[in-house]
Amino acid sequence: MNNIFSQIKRSKEMGILAILVVISIIISAFNSSFLTFGNLLDVVKSNIVLGIMSMGMLLVLLTGGIDVSIASVISAVTVIIGRFMVDYSSNIFLIFVVGVVAGSLMGLINGLLIAKLKIPPIVATLGTMSVIFGLVLYLTNGNWITGIPQNFIDFGRVTIGQFPVAGSDQIQGIPIQFLFLLFAIALTWFILKYTMIGRGIYAIGGNRDSAERIGMNSENITLFIYTYEGFLIGLAGVVHTSIMRQVDPNAFIGFEIQVIAAVVLGGASVLGGYGSVSGTIIGVSLFCIINNGLILMHIPTFWQKIVVGIVLITSISFDVIQKRMHDKKNIKVDIDESESSFKRLGVAEKSTSQA
Amino acid sequence: MAQNMFLRMHNVSKTFPGVKALKNIDLEVEYGEIHALIGENGAGKSTLIKILSGVYQPDEGAEIIIDGVVQKTITPLDSLKRGIAVIYQDFSLFPNLSVAENIAMVSRVEKRKKIVNWRETNQIARSALDKLGLRIPLSKTLSELSVAKQQLVAIARALVNDAKLIVMDEPTSALSRGEVESLFSIIRNLKEQGISILFISHKLDELFAISDRFSILRDGKYVGTFGEDELDDDRLISLMVGRKIEYKIFEKRTLVDPIFEVRNLSKAGNFKDISFTLHRGEILGITGLVGAGRSELAQAIFGLNPSDSGELILEGKRLQVNAPEQAVQHGISYIPENRLTEGLILKKTMSDNICLTVLKQISSRHGLIEKAAQNKLVEKWIEEMHIRPNIPNMITSKLSGGNQQRVVLSKWLATDPKVLIVDEPTNGIDIGAKADIHQLLRDLSEQGMSIIVISSELPEILAIGDRVLVMRRGKIAATLDGKNLTQEEIMKEAL
Repeated sequence: MNNIFSQIKRSKEMGILAILVVISIIISAFNSSFLTFGNLLDVVKSNIVLGIMSMGMLLVLLTGGIDVSIASVISAVTVIIGRFMVDYSSNIFLIFVVGVVAGSLMGLINGLLIAKLKIPPIVATLGTMSVIFGLVLYLTNGNWITGIPQNFIDFGRVTIGQFPVAGSDQIQGIPIQFLFLLFAIALTWFILKYTMIGRGIYAIGGNRDSAERIGMNSENITLFIYTYEGFLIGLAGVVHTSIMRQVDPNAFIGFEIQVIAAVVLGGASVLGGYGSVSGTIIGVSLFCIINNGLILMHIPTFWQKIVVGIVLITSISFDVIQKRMHDKKNIKVDIDESESSFKRLGVAEKSTSQA
Repeated sequence: MAQNMFLRMHNVSKTFPGVKALKNIDLEVEYGEIHALIGENGAGKSTLIKILSGVYQPDEGAEIIIDGVVQKTITPLDSLKRGIAVIYQDFSLFPNLSVAENIAMVSRVEKRKKIVNWRETNQIARSALDKLGLRIPLSKTLSELSVAKQQLVAIARALVNDAKLIVMDEPTSALSRGEVESLFSIIRNLKEQGISILFISHKLDELFAISDRFSILRDGKYVGTFGEDELDDDRLISLMVGRKIEYKIFEKRTLVDPIFEVRNLSKAGNFKDISFTLHRGEILGITGLVGAGRSELAQAIFGLNPSDSGELILEGKRLQVNAPEQAVQHGISYIPENRLTEGLILKKTMSDNICLTVLKQISSRHGLIEKAAQNKLVEKWIEEMHIRPNIPNMITSKLSGGNQQRVVLSKWLATDPKVLIVDEPTNGIDIGAKADIHQLLRDLSEQGMSIIVISSELPEILAIGDRVLVMRRGKIAATLDGKNLTQEEIMKEAL
C-alpha cells in the first residue's frame, strides 16, 4: 500500500493532474459557468481534433522526433475530403477512407525522409509543411469549400445519450465525434502497451544504439510512427469537417504548436523516451482548460499565444534541466576513497579467499 | 584438456588500415572459469572482445572454437546464439523502461514477437533474477536504480539468453567496495552454475580476489596465460609493461623556480585532492590508466570542467578560472586529446586555424581582421614550427597528422602561454613525427615555457618528462623523479 502511494507521488502524471485540479478551482472561482456540464462539453467538443492529433504527436516525441507539418497535413486532408464529398461522393465510409489514406500517405512521406534519408525530423517536416501548405493554397486559392452534403452534416450532429443540463431545461448528448477521440486513445494505448512496435518506440527513445544492437529495426519503427500519426490526422480531418460543416484551408495555421505544447505539458519529453497516453490526456485537458479559462475570464486572445509559448518553453526547460542534473550526477572517475594501500589489501583478500 | 574449454581462440590477428592491432593472439576459457584479461591501455583487449562478439572480423588464419563448434565467421547474432554475452561499460540497457522489460527485451526481439505478453515478461525477469538470487522490484524504472543494480540487471539479461560466457568490461569501475563484494559473490555463483566469466579490469586487488587464470596482452601480442598461484603484483606488472622505447630519452633536469601551483583541487566524480607544483622550463609528465582522471584534471585547470574546490596559483597569484577564456588570459593553454575534433577546424585553412586564438591581436580598432597582420603572424609560425607544406591557405584536413599537430601547437603558442598543457600530444601519428613533437616540446621548455604532458604511452612519458606524476582512481598516486625511471615503477603506482 505504501509502495503504491510512493509511486503515485513520484509520477509526473500525478503532478500535472494536481495542477489541473488547482487551475480548475481557480478558474471556477472567477467564473461560475466554468464547471458546468454544458461548458465542459463545449471544451471537449472543441478540442477533439487536438486530442486525436496529440496521440500521434506523443509517438513522435517518444522517439525524440518532432513533427511541425501536422497543421498542413490536416489542412490538406480537410480540403481533399471537402472536394471529394462535394464533387464525387457523400458516402460517409468513403469519406473516412479518403481522409485516412490521404493523411497516412503524407505521414509516410515524412517517415521516408526521416527514416531512409536520415533528415532530422524538424527539417524534414518543415519542408513538407511548406510544400503541403503551398499545394493547399494552389488548389483552393484560399477559398472556403462550402456546400457540404446534408447526410455528412447530419452524421456530424449525431449525439449519444441525453443528459439534462443543470440550471436550464436543455438536454444535451455526447457528440459522436467524441467516439473517434476514444478510439484514437484506445488504439494508441494498445499499440504503446501491447505491441512490440510500441515497446520499440520506448526502447529507441531510451537508447537508440542499444535498441539497434539487440536487433530492433529503428527504420521501420520510424516509418510506422509517422504513418500512424498521418492516419490519426486523417481521422481528425474528417472529424473536424463534420463539426465545422465547411472547409477553411487556413483554419489550422499555427495549430502544430498547440498540439506539441499540449503533449509536452502532459509529461512527454522532447528528448525522447518518456511520456504516456494517460499523461497526454491530462496534458491536453490542462491545456484546453487554460485556454477555456482565458476565454471565460475575457482575456484578449493574443494572450493565448503568449501562454502557449510560455507553456512550451517552461515544460521543455524542465526536461532539459532535469537531464542536465542527471548527467552531472554521473560519475566519470571512480575516486579511490580508501586510505589504506590497496595492493596489500589485494594480497590479503587473495589469501583469505583461498582460506 | 581441450574438452574443458568453452572458448578457444587461436592465432587471432586484426589489422586496421596502417596498424596491426592484434598479432597472433591465443585465448582459452574453460567452462565455469573466471578468467582475467589484462593489459595496458591500447594492448588490444577491446579489439579482442569485439572480435569475440562479432563486431570485428579477424584476419585470415584465425581459429575460433566456441563450445566445441568451429566458427568460420562470427556475426554479432552468432556470438549471442553461441552463448557469448558482452556487458559493455554502458550496459546497453534502456533507462526509461522497467527492470522486467529490460531483462526480457532481447528474448522478445529474438522470438520475433509482435504482441507483448506482460505476464511472460515478468516470469522471464523473475526467473533470471532468481538465478542470481536477487530481489529487485520488477516494475521499477531502470534509471531509478543505482549503477550497481543496473549492472546486475544487465547480467540477468545475459542469463535470459542462455549465456555461457559473460564478458565484463571494467565491471567494477563505478561500484563501491560493498557493491563490488556482492557482484563478486554473484560471479562466483554463476561459476558454480558452469558459466564462464571473462573479466577485464585494471584493479589488481579485485582481479586476484576473483580470477582463476590470467591472460596477458601487451602491445597487441599475447604474453601468456597464468594460474592465479603463478603470479603476484610485481610479476604481473613486469609482464604487462615493457613496450620497446624507440624515442630519444632527453636528459632530465632538476628545476627549482616554481611558476604554477595546484592546491587541493577536487571535483566530485572526477578527481580529489590534487596538489602539485610546476617549475619554470619544466616538462611534467602526467600518466595513469584511462579513467584515472587525467584529462578531467587538465580540463579543470583550463576552465572547461571547473573544479568544486581547491586553488590554482600562477606566479604567486591566485587565479579564478571558470572558463577557458580566463585561463588563456592568465597564460594557460590546453591542447586537447583529440586534436582532429577538438583542436582544429579541419575544413578551414591553416592560416585561419593558427589565428583563431589571437583574433584580437590581428584586428583593427573596429574589430575587422587585418590581412597583413594575419599573414605576418601565420608566416612566423609556419617558419618557427616548420609546418610543411608552407602554404598558409592549405585546407587543414589535407595536412599530415604531424603537421596538423604543429598547427594546433602554433595556434596555442600564439597566445604566448606560460603554462602549456598537452593531452596525448602524439596520439595517432607516426614514430618520426612523434620524435619531432618531443623535440619541439623540449625546445619550448628550454626557452622557459612550463609544460604538462599527459600521456598513456609510458615510453613517451619516460622520454620527455623531467618529473612524472602518476594518477590512480582520481588521486595522485605518486610523484616520481624522471631520472632512471622505469615503466614498471610507473605501472606499479598506476594500477
